[in-house]
Amino acid sequence: MKVLRIGYIPLVDSALLHVARAYDFAKAEGIELDLVRETSWANIRDKLSIGFFDAAHILAPSAIAACLGLGSAELPLVAPVALGLDGNAITLSKALYSQVMEEARAAEGSLASPHVTAKGLAKVVAKRRLAGAPRPIFAHVYPFSSHHYQLRLWFSAGGLDPKQDLDLVVVPPPFMVESLTKGLIDGFCVGEPWNSFAASCGAGHIIHRSRDIVRNCPEKLLAFREDVAMADPDCVTALSRAIRRAAAWAIEEDHIEDLAYLLSHDAGLDVPIELLCTILDPKREPELKTAKPRLDPASTVAYPGQADWLHAQMRGAGQIGDLPAVKARAAYRPDLAGDSISEIPADLEIEVLGPAAVV
Amino acid sequence: MDEDLRIVVVDINPLRASILEDGLREAGHADIVHIDDTSDLLNRLNAATPDVIILDLESPSRDVLEQMCEVSRTMARPIAMFVDRSDTSMIDAAIDAGVSAYIVDGLRKDRIKPIIDITIRRFKTFTKLKDELESAKLQLEDRKAIDRAKGMVMKAKALSEDEAYALMRKAAMNGNKRIGDVARSIITSADLLL
Repeated sequence: MKVLRIGYIPLVDSALLHVARAYDFAKAEGIELDLVRETSWANIRDKLSIGFFDAAHILAPSAIAACLGLGSAELPLVAPVALGLDGNAITLSKALYSQVMEEARAAEGSLASPHVTAKGLAKVVAKRRLAGAPRPIFAHVYPFSSHHYQLRLWFSAGGLDPKQDLDLVVVPPPFMVESLTKGLIDGFCVGEPWNSFAASCGAGHIIHRSRDIVRNCPEKLLAFREDVAMADPDCVTALSRAIRRAAAWAIEEDHIEDLAYLLSHDAGLDVPIELLCTILDPKREPELKTAKPRLDPASTVAYPGQADWLHAQMRGAGQIGDLPAVKARAAYRPDLAGDSISEIPADLEIEVLGPAAVV
Repeated sequence: MDEDLRIVVVDINPLRASILEDGLREAGHADIVHIDDTSDLLNRLNAATPDVIILDLESPSRDVLEQMCEVSRTMARPIAMFVDRSDTSMIDAAIDAGVSAYIVDGLRKDRIKPIIDITIRRFKTFTKLKDELESAKLQLEDRKAIDRAKGMVMKAKALSEDEAYALMRKAAMNGNKRIGDVARSIITSADLLL
């Protein structure tokens, strides 16, 4: 039995690793998973770098940044599979939510459209500026994160310049709700369960699921240190198979409560287990706007085209200079999972703020 | 000679912070700022204008500092100590002790290393102290649970105090468990069954 030590951050989209371990999908492949809970994305990167972890649940843009040597020494990582798609949401404080909605209602179009709400936000920002009030502060989770880019895309839809018109800060996910309640931030973009938790305890309102802004957005990868993967590529393929079986297990309706239990008990998500059930099975409480990540087998394919899209976002955010996209692609290695290297299929295409993205 | 370096210690644990602060002062570092509240951390750090930032490796706030490495409006750009791979033994020791540090770009390494070394030693002192406190606390809790469980066993099986204890000790040895844990399972079972 080969032991792999894998770091993860407690979030709903760490689910497939826990399923692969608890339901023996990894063991069936001759792999024992030693899953280690982490507290920061910086730790995930650094512990991969020093060899404390063989692989990790990692933000896809953070894996690309590591490969490019941005924010750290160059660290070659390879991801055979993704651990899902989508699953973030933007939550606003009650005060900002009602201001944005008031402005949006006065304009034309559906309130479900991020274009409409972003223009509402732009009006709020303009009014605040006239009144001499401080700029709204939005939090995301890490400089290299889809959360960061999703906020930027939403702001851009309202003609806002993320550098001039708003302040963007990093807040660790478990501190988001408290920061919102204390008034330190006016809104945030984070993964589940933290949006639903904020909404269910009355700290704020979810204005958009990330899926409304970017459909099929790449999120977390399962990334190995390149040297670990190359030393035993069969093991990488075997674990990828286990992840895919875990994904097939995770979408069964009968397994929702077991999965919620795993997230609470194994992943250590400190929120009510009923809330986790609702996130995984939104029809239990349709009025709560939860943002379930896609965890189905199709969402676990690591398409190199996703790296191209993330590279473009990183460049847009001024993080990457002229580094070519081909280097970002190096992190995506579907071949190591036994998948063919192909273009993103039509039903998984990344769609930004298109009319179809409006639910 | 190093009194001009401003060291900011970000730690919500007051005991660890004071153990570290004492060590740094003993080594001649007088300019130390302790931040014990990590909300709004970026502004607090910017206001403190540090040369060196020290924080617990397990603090989620490391990601806030990563943002500071990327953009910093008011202070010189800090970099994570792990970026410099030339001293792997120091990095291993730091990770082992649970230390992370961010250092303003361009500071000479020979000025930083003694600070990191003190921090590693002081973090270890703290961990040892914490382990001792926890083990004392556990012993006290064990004793309470053992007494309660012993009473239950005496009553249920009509045994003397010594016999009840011997029975529990045997169960612990057979199950390769601590006697305090056996006592706690007796109490849980009794609560469920009676």
